[in-house]
Amino acid sequence: MVIGVLHRKLLRTIFRSWGQSLAVIAVVVCGSACYITIYSAYLNLRLTRDTYYAQCHFADFEIMLERAPAAAVFKIAEIPGVRHARARIVRDVNVDIEGVDEPRIGRIVSMPNPRAPVLHDIVVTEGRYFEPGAQSEVIVNDRFAEANGLQLGDRIHVSMEDKKYPLRIVGLGLSAEYVYMIRNVQELVPSPERFGILWVPTDFAETALDMRAACNNILGDVDRPEELDLILDQAEKLLKPFGVFAKVKREDQISNRFLSDEIHGLGVSARIIPTLFLGVAALILLVLLNRMVRMERTQIGLLKAYGYSDWTVAFHYVEYALILAVAGCLGGFALGARLSVGILRLYVDFYQFPLLEFRVYPDVLTWAMGLSIGFAVAGATFAAVRAARIHPAESMRPEAPRFAHRIWLERFPRLWRAVGFTWKMILRNIGRNAFRASLNIFGVAVSTGLLIMGFFTMDAMYYGMEYQFNEVQREDVKISFQGERGRDALYDMQRFRHVRYAEPLLEYPFEVRAGWRKKDIIVIGLPQEAQLLKLMTFRRGEISIPERGVILGDYLAGELGVVPGDRILMKPLMGRVTREREVVVHGITEQFLGTTAYMDLHALSRILDEPFAMNAALLRIEKGAEQAVNRAFKDIAGIASVGFREKAYQSLLDTLAESMRIMNVTLLAFAGVIAFSIIYNVTSVSLAERQRELASLRVLGFTAGETGSILYYENFLLGVIGMAFGIPVGMFLSRLLVRAYESDLYRLPFHIDQTTYVISIALTTGFVALANWAVRRKIHGLDLVEVLKERE
Amino acid sequence: MDSAMPQPKGRTLFEIENLRKDYPMGEVTVHALRGVSLQIYSGEFLVILGPSGSGKSTLLNIIGGLDAPSGGRVRFKGQNLTTYNDAQRTQYRRRNIGFVFQFYNLMPNLTAEENVELATEIAPDPMPAREALGLVGLQERRTHFPSQLSGGEQQRVAIARAVAKRPEVLLCDEPTGALDISTGKLVLRVLADINKRLGATLIIITHNAVIGEMADRVVRMADGTARDIIVHATRRSVEELQW
Repeated sequence: MVIGVLHRKLLRTIFRSWGQSLAVIAVVVCGSACYITIYSAYLNLRLTRDTYYAQCHFADFEIMLERAPAAAVFKIAEIPGVRHARARIVRDVNVDIEGVDEPRIGRIVSMPNPRAPVLHDIVVTEGRYFEPGAQSEVIVNDRFAEANGLQLGDRIHVSMEDKKYPLRIVGLGLSAEYVYMIRNVQELVPSPERFGILWVPTDFAETALDMRAACNNILGDVDRPEELDLILDQAEKLLKPFGVFAKVKREDQISNRFLSDEIHGLGVSARIIPTLFLGVAALILLVLLNRMVRMERTQIGLLKAYGYSDWTVAFHYVEYALILAVAGCLGGFALGARLSVGILRLYVDFYQFPLLEFRVYPDVLTWAMGLSIGFAVAGATFAAVRAARIHPAESMRPEAPRFAHRIWLERFPRLWRAVGFTWKMILRNIGRNAFRASLNIFGVAVSTGLLIMGFFTMDAMYYGMEYQFNEVQREDVKISFQGERGRDALYDMQRFRHVRYAEPLLEYPFEVRAGWRKKDIIVIGLPQEAQLLKLMTFRRGEISIPERGVILGDYLAGELGVVPGDRILMKPLMGRVTREREVVVHGITEQFLGTTAYMDLHALSRILDEPFAMNAALLRIEKGAEQAVNRAFKDIAGIASVGFREKAYQSLLDTLAESMRIMNVTLLAFAGVIAFSIIYNVTSVSLAERQRELASLRVLGFTAGETGSILYYENFLLGVIGMAFGIPVGMFLSRLLVRAYESDLYRLPFHIDQTTYVISIALTTGFVALANWAVRRKIHGLDLVEVLKERE
Repeated sequence: MDSAMPQPKGRTLFEIENLRKDYPMGEVTVHALRGVSLQIYSGEFLVILGPSGSGKSTLLNIIGGLDAPSGGRVRFKGQNLTTYNDAQRTQYRRRNIGFVFQFYNLMPNLTAEENVELATEIAPDPMPAREALGLVGLQERRTHFPSQLSGGEQQRVAIARAVAKRPEVLLCDEPTGALDISTGKLVLRVLADINKRLGATLIIITHNAVIGEMADRVVRMADGTARDIIVHATRRSVEELQW
């Protein structure tokens, strides 16, 4: 068995240098595990979404209206290209649950009774659908029920139009429309205890909401999605008299948008992250195997002299990479399975599916193995070719010594003379092994960059939320009315007990246009002296509300391509007034949530041909009066919702904290593995190559510590350079993330805390120190007598 | 030649008593030294002669503080080396010993002069690096890197490095082993010269019996023991040696 002996040699090499082998394996484990986890998540989530959407007949468009006759739906259905259309009633109401004092908001969604297959259908997970003719039955979103301790047979009370209605829970359900169940974009993450969906029979909704034979929401699906814009324009014309709030395409539907963004993000990550790891593994193998071939030159010559073919010898080194890749990938299977459970838990927290099965596909495993092997072999090729080229006769002579040369710094003799030996050796050595030094720098830079990016996401979110909830929003409570009110409503608010101060607000949907660019947005009218809603510039200066003109969110201004001084056209999307008005862009405000514009309340009212209109109020209330205020307001007719800023802020912080923790621990581990294994391997190779040098120093009387410091200092020097590069790398990655997540719904502010740099650099320094510590063992174990006896 | 009466040249520097060194190699134990007793005098030129495996390198390594014995005792100026721990041995090497090996073990990243400075930096009372290079006749080439020097030149740099810290003892393990005859002779002349001029005790181990003729005394080793000691009344010069 000729090959057998070579195999044994290989295995011994791997086991003898187990530290280095393990470090390479660890990187491959991370790479393949990431690939398996992320790509499986991608496939699973996509498959689940598509199946679930098909099962529920996910609508292609949704039109939100003020109020239209239910028969209007037939006109929509007649538009060429529309396959089905469905009219329904959707309204957010306050929910009374026994024993719960906190505000709960339920979204009433009408469903046909008896059951019929409809667009945006639901899945009943427990209990049953409505009895024929039933009036006071409700199917509750199961996550909402669970969070509030509701069970089948329980009663809840909903306040609608001045009256309180008892509803009996007959079923628990889910809908593809609310996979990501948030009330509006401002909420950002679901909080199923505060907001849930209540599906009720159409009859009940019509009666209770005073919408006999009327609807405020039309769904439809189409033959060809590319005709959607055309169809929606036609629909808008038809529905114009009934006040169109918004036309929402499937791709803009909130839940779908979040879910599909996530899936898209996974698809991108599945390509980038594993490539990064496996690329690092390939680079380490390149260095390791080059060193090995150089060291085993004579042995290679000998093998060839005995008649081993170039190919056999070359393959011997490829096999080394192959074994580590396969071992790493098998480890990746195990880790991947574990991480998949973790990611599943994360998704279950945020998304609601009737069944989220986490399968690992054999294809994905095959690909993971193929990629691991591919990258490893690519890393090994250079060394293998080198081994194949070695000529047996030449190999017996020692390789020509590599010239040490002067480095650039030596052109400044005075400076150079001031440099100590340790540093002279270090600097020349870096100059001599520029590739290895660059690899070291690269590893540290990537590690630092990854950490910065990870902490950046946290910084950005906290910063954005802090901005939104403390700088911009300053109210204690926001009361939204159904429809517009006059100035009286404000006085009513001010008269309430516990209310210290109240401000009016008018939120109205508009189509804004600048040239050919247009967008449907909400324009918010607020008083010029507004205290409870402040607009900010990028420099955190407050912008006062101008008497005339409009202030745009920065993202909106970018989308419209306008700057202050430009003019835009505004057209109300509902109500009597339909004419377009020209307005000057007065200023631009920094905005991370939503896409809105701001105006003086009176000016906005005038556009709507009203002297004064408001449909919401911001309140400042007495401390500790939250529950009393909630109780007082939730049953009042005409109040659509009561929202508490502090609670929303807290629940957002809590939800994010948990998912951030998981993400950052993972990232930390990954960054650590990359930094550690590159530094450890490069240093080990360097040590092996220079053991004679180091042993000579020991013989001269240098202590083990003094000797080791040559390697340690070199690593720290390269580390410092790497970290310096890591900062722009981190900023670049963060910018990329900002770009990737930019949408109408929300944007990440590009904001990196100083502490993020400090922590990232401290952690990376720790990784470098850890790698040094691991190498230290080898320096102390250096057998002086043996090393010096060997031939050079 | 007279082997009967050892004639001390100076005071005793090393007292070696019944020195033993065993290397456990799995199931068998190799006895590298089986009880060597020897006195080494200050300023003398001692050659330890023996075939490979005779234990001469082991002896040198223990004297030089690179290795610890399994049994017996080595006293250096009355201090018991055998009880030293690793850190103490490092200090001992730093202060007292200059090593020269068959392979020169220079730092490839440092020039000739910098290699010598490496030793002067940690020694308490070194000579200037240029002076040390002058002793070995390499002052001209001090800015060269090892890879730009011939084998003989590299070995002379190694000697300069060993000498520069003014060690009491210069230990050379086959210093000419890798060199051709004429270069080897040059290196030996430098070593003998240093021994004479600086008064450093010079110990060379070799399997080349001819070199012994240059020494004050020759210790012949075989099988881990010192077989006999030859004392020369007069040392021969390098030029007189016949290879």
